[in-house]
Amino acid sequence: MRVSYKWLKTMVDVPEEPRDLVAELIRTGTEVEAVDTVGQAFDHVVTGKVLTKDPHPDSDHMWVTTVDVGAANTDAEGNPQPLQIVCGAQNFNAGDHIVVAMVGAELPGGIKIKKAKLRGIESRGMNCSARELGLSGDHSGIMILPEDAPVGMPFARYADLSDSVLDCEITPNRPDCLSMIGMAREVGAILDEDLHVDLPAIKQEQGAPASDVVEVEIADEGLCDRYVMRVVRNVKVGPSPQWMVERLAAAGVRSINNVVDITNYVMMLTGQPLHAFDMAAFDMADDGKRRVVVRAAHAGEKFTTLDGQERVLAEGMGLITDSGRPVALAGVMGGLNSEIEDDSTDVLIESACFAAGRTSHTSRDLDLISEASLRFERQVDVEGCVDVANITAALIEELAGGEVAPGYVEVYPNPFEPAKITLRLARVDALIGAAIDPAFTRTALARLGCGVEDAAPGELLVTQPSFRPDLTREIDLIEEILRLWGMGRVEATIPAARNHVGGLTPDQRLERKIGQILRACGLNETTTYGFAAPGDLEKIGMSEEGKGLPVKLMRPLVAEQSEMRRTLLPGLLTSVDYNEDHGNGNIQLYEMGRLFFGRPNKSQPKERMSVAAVLAGAWGDSTCNQKYRPLRFFDGKGIVEELLAQLRVEKVRFRPCDPEKYRFLQPGRAAEVLAGGTLLGWVGEVHPSAREAFGIKLPVTAFELDVDALKRAARPQGAYHGFSPYPPVEVDLAIVVDEDVTCETLEQRLRSAGGKLLSDVRLFDVYRDDERVGAGKKSMAFALTYRAEDHTLTSSEVEKVHQRLITKVCKAVGGTVRS
Amino acid sequence: MSLVEDLERLEQTAHERIESATTAEQLEAARVALLGRKGQLTDMMHMMGSLSPEERPAVGKRANELRRLIEGMIERSSQSLAEVARQNLISREAVDISLPGVRPVIGHQHLISSILEEIEDIFCGMGYTVEYGRHVETTYYNFTALNAPEDHPSRSARDTFYVVDNAVGTADHAEAHARGESDILLRTQTSGQQVHALENEKPPIYMISPGTVYRPDTPDACHLPQFNQVEGLVVDEGITFGDLKGTLDTFIRAMFGEDRKTRYRPHFFPFTEPSCEVDVSCNVCHGKGCSFCKHSGWIEILGCGMVDPNVLEMSGVDSEKYTGFAFGIGAERVAALRYDLPDLRALMTGDMRFLAQF
Repeated sequence: MRVSYKWLKTMVDVPEEPRDLVAELIRTGTEVEAVDTVGQAFDHVVTGKVLTKDPHPDSDHMWVTTVDVGAANTDAEGNPQPLQIVCGAQNFNAGDHIVVAMVGAELPGGIKIKKAKLRGIESRGMNCSARELGLSGDHSGIMILPEDAPVGMPFARYADLSDSVLDCEITPNRPDCLSMIGMAREVGAILDEDLHVDLPAIKQEQGAPASDVVEVEIADEGLCDRYVMRVVRNVKVGPSPQWMVERLAAAGVRSINNVVDITNYVMMLTGQPLHAFDMAAFDMADDGKRRVVVRAAHAGEKFTTLDGQERVLAEGMGLITDSGRPVALAGVMGGLNSEIEDDSTDVLIESACFAAGRTSHTSRDLDLISEASLRFERQVDVEGCVDVANITAALIEELAGGEVAPGYVEVYPNPFEPAKITLRLARVDALIGAAIDPAFTRTALARLGCGVEDAAPGELLVTQPSFRPDLTREIDLIEEILRLWGMGRVEATIPAARNHVGGLTPDQRLERKIGQILRACGLNETTTYGFAAPGDLEKIGMSEEGKGLPVKLMRPLVAEQSEMRRTLLPGLLTSVDYNEDHGNGNIQLYEMGRLFFGRPNKSQPKERMSVAAVLAGAWGDSTCNQKYRPLRFFDGKGIVEELLAQLRVEKVRFRPCDPEKYRFLQPGRAAEVLAGGTLLGWVGEVHPSAREAFGIKLPVTAFELDVDALKRAARPQGAYHGFSPYPPVEVDLAIVVDEDVTCETLEQRLRSAGGKLLSDVRLFDVYRDDERVGAGKKSMAFALTYRAEDHTLTSSEVEKVHQRLITKVCKAVGGTVRS
Repeated sequence: MSLVEDLERLEQTAHERIESATTAEQLEAARVALLGRKGQLTDMMHMMGSLSPEERPAVGKRANELRRLIEGMIERSSQSLAEVARQNLISREAVDISLPGVRPVIGHQHLISSILEEIEDIFCGMGYTVEYGRHVETTYYNFTALNAPEDHPSRSARDTFYVVDNAVGTADHAEAHARGESDILLRTQTSGQQVHALENEKPPIYMISPGTVYRPDTPDACHLPQFNQVEGLVVDEGITFGDLKGTLDTFIRAMFGEDRKTRYRPHFFPFTEPSCEVDVSCNVCHGKGCSFCKHSGWIEILGCGMVDPNVLEMSGVDSEKYTGFAFGIGAERVAALRYDLPDLRALMTGDMRFLAQF
């Protein structure tokens, strides 16, 4: 809402400086986005006073004057300095108050004022006539101002020529503020000032009454709460007066002709959108009457709006018809066929209250948002329709010479019943947390337009004004009181939160811990979109098994984001590609985020937390003391192992992936991660063809684990157990086995064969050599640590256990000891 | 040659050998040669038997003196050799300490998740619980239960991502489907978690709900179709607007600095009443007005208000007995303000250079 300060000033006393009102508006909940200065600025044109007037030595009609312009011209020390101006006018004397255009001014005729010499005498400005200022044709001499005119004031301000327009953002709950009267009322309530609004009234009604001319019918009651129509005859369509053009311009409305301008002007004044129809455009029935019918459109019905566009309507959109064809899109825009033209003479004025919801749908579905639809969708004052029709008719009478037909025609099926609200003063204080003077409450509500009566002790009975659809409950009134009283004045307190305990749950702490461990392992946390491209699983060769149905967006922004993700991997691979493309060759990322598994016959999908990581390149480029070492499978596996160890997950196992099920991983470098029998996820190197699908050149190692499964598998910290104080005995053992014997199997065998005395097993070398070890075989070298809890082991004791271990293990895995 | 002379010569030899030893090994060789089981002094001691009883005590004494002398010499030489060796080691090992250190690689937390954690910690400190909630919500929890009118523009497919409803019988809503709308959506705000809390818990409720929300905004420097909010809800007996102010003042000072001022501007939200927006004093100009704060001296930081009685009643909470407040903060906005981010899209690329900055 663009609020002209000059216009506002005519209705309520406001501070001299617009910025002072702006601060008050912001304080009470009206955001002011900008303050624009409009109108003629008259830079460097000020009021002045003639000090001396002497004849020009070289001219018989010119004068050399000195003019006091106060602080508008000063010397280097800042003292006011009168100007010497050569002037040809004759109608003034020393002591007269005048208007001075100083050096730098540009007058409406395009005259630029510069320092000049007139017949040898320096002149620093011009004493202005009304015509030179573009104010009137009077060129009989310079403008003489009243004696009480101040000296040195910008002329635009003195003559009130410029205006400030406050661009106010009105919240959707305040339709009343989409009008000048509403803004004046709001300002009156904020500043505790009376309104002085002067509204035009009809001077004379003449001719046949409106009810003889038109009939109104609301065929669809859901479309319109009230419909009022007045008739004005013999209108002379022409230009609007300057004051109206200016006020409309300030409000952001272009002048068209006096009749249309009046409807727009009254809308800006009252907030009630109006429409003026050319009566001639309406079909006349046999009884000589025009019929106005408000009805719903049929599906596919076509209608050309004022802007010349043909619109295809959907069923249920509101139409105004002349019983036959449509003439307006109810509450949104008039039709081209009933527009007021220069030759229109008889005018029908519509002042109606169209239903908020239906109007909103119509305008948004047609993508046609007008000043009218904006107001209707927030609800207009149903009780104001007649008054507003009268104001409009009065203005047409006054400004377009119309003859107002007596009376009006209306349909108002369900008259407005204002809410009667009991306001408990104690509740006001209790909710706000401050002691508010009841006298303030009474005045504030009354100034907002509410009816305020005393009810039971400590209570007020408040009647809702019809222009405030938002005031129906006690809480609505409390809000008004608080915002006017001042939110800033309420003392800040902190609630006691008695009988309440806060903090993170163990599950939430565990989720944080997973992130902490992964960062300690060197991974950077990232976020990718929760959206996914259709077929993204197929693109990398990931099975859909166990991932439900894709959750599909009905209107995605882009096709590649039309589903919700079922794995974190594609998002992370996109980030790998991004980094590679931007010269970041060392990439370590993890993400913890939601996956969405749609379910057949269920509205909402299953949402699961997942954590995934990608590793590419190395931890760092080569430096003098660190070598570049590419990150591969075991780096990913190591992080998974560390994560699971830190979470104290037991019975962790890595099982080779079935290449058919895990086509997105490189066979032989991929493992399923298990805790006992529970599958937690996978770790592996991304299959070259999968990463090529993302344009990635570097090998990528990745893992993805189900966070919910991880949280279930995590175990709490166990009790302390001591360390043996006795020395260990270390023995190395290299066993030659077939290729297909895994490290995991060997280690398990060693541990079970070693019994209690074997305290640690560490693989330190794997060696292959067709000649020395044999084809299809490998030598696995372990460092075994024997240690007893309760005594120092003797060498014979160790020897015995070790020999038994060798025998058992070799037998079990078909291996031989490599000497 | 007499044994005494031999001893004198041995002393001379010992001096030479020990002094000429430059390594621990040479010194040990000298010790073995002089004092070892087959060493020269030991040999001489064995020859003592051939001396007359008169000579023996003097020669024996001399031999013992010599042994102690040599032992002393070896000990001193050993210490000085050790010292030399240590000095050599030290000078050999000296490095240019300006060379880079061997840094362990530690990952960085994502900017947004660290802000969310920070907010969680501040409110946990004030006794709040944390609830995350679903991302795929129903229109009831995202709009209806939050007092949003049936025909509110924010419900349209222009402002909300609706998802295909797989439930049986939803094809009946063909008209809504044609508009791109269904009963199931990606939540556009974390506020819906308020309703879940009101339904599932009994007051007192002090909770925040951080998390991802979605809106159909094409990504640009200031918008992302997916971003993060923290919703807060308090419902208890006797909660006042003053409590809302005190809580948010505390939060804002913890988050942005003790010297920051706040301003509460009345505003409108469907699910709170009274509602307001909260501004924090500009950290660039300290309230004087600058281009960062659009010359207002204030920066908008969050929306809040007292919970609308309708919202409480819809979820079965007695709005006469209980009152409360709710608030919502955008994590990306906090990030942009605190770190002067020029483009929010950087949050989503996973660029290692960006992540490593925070």
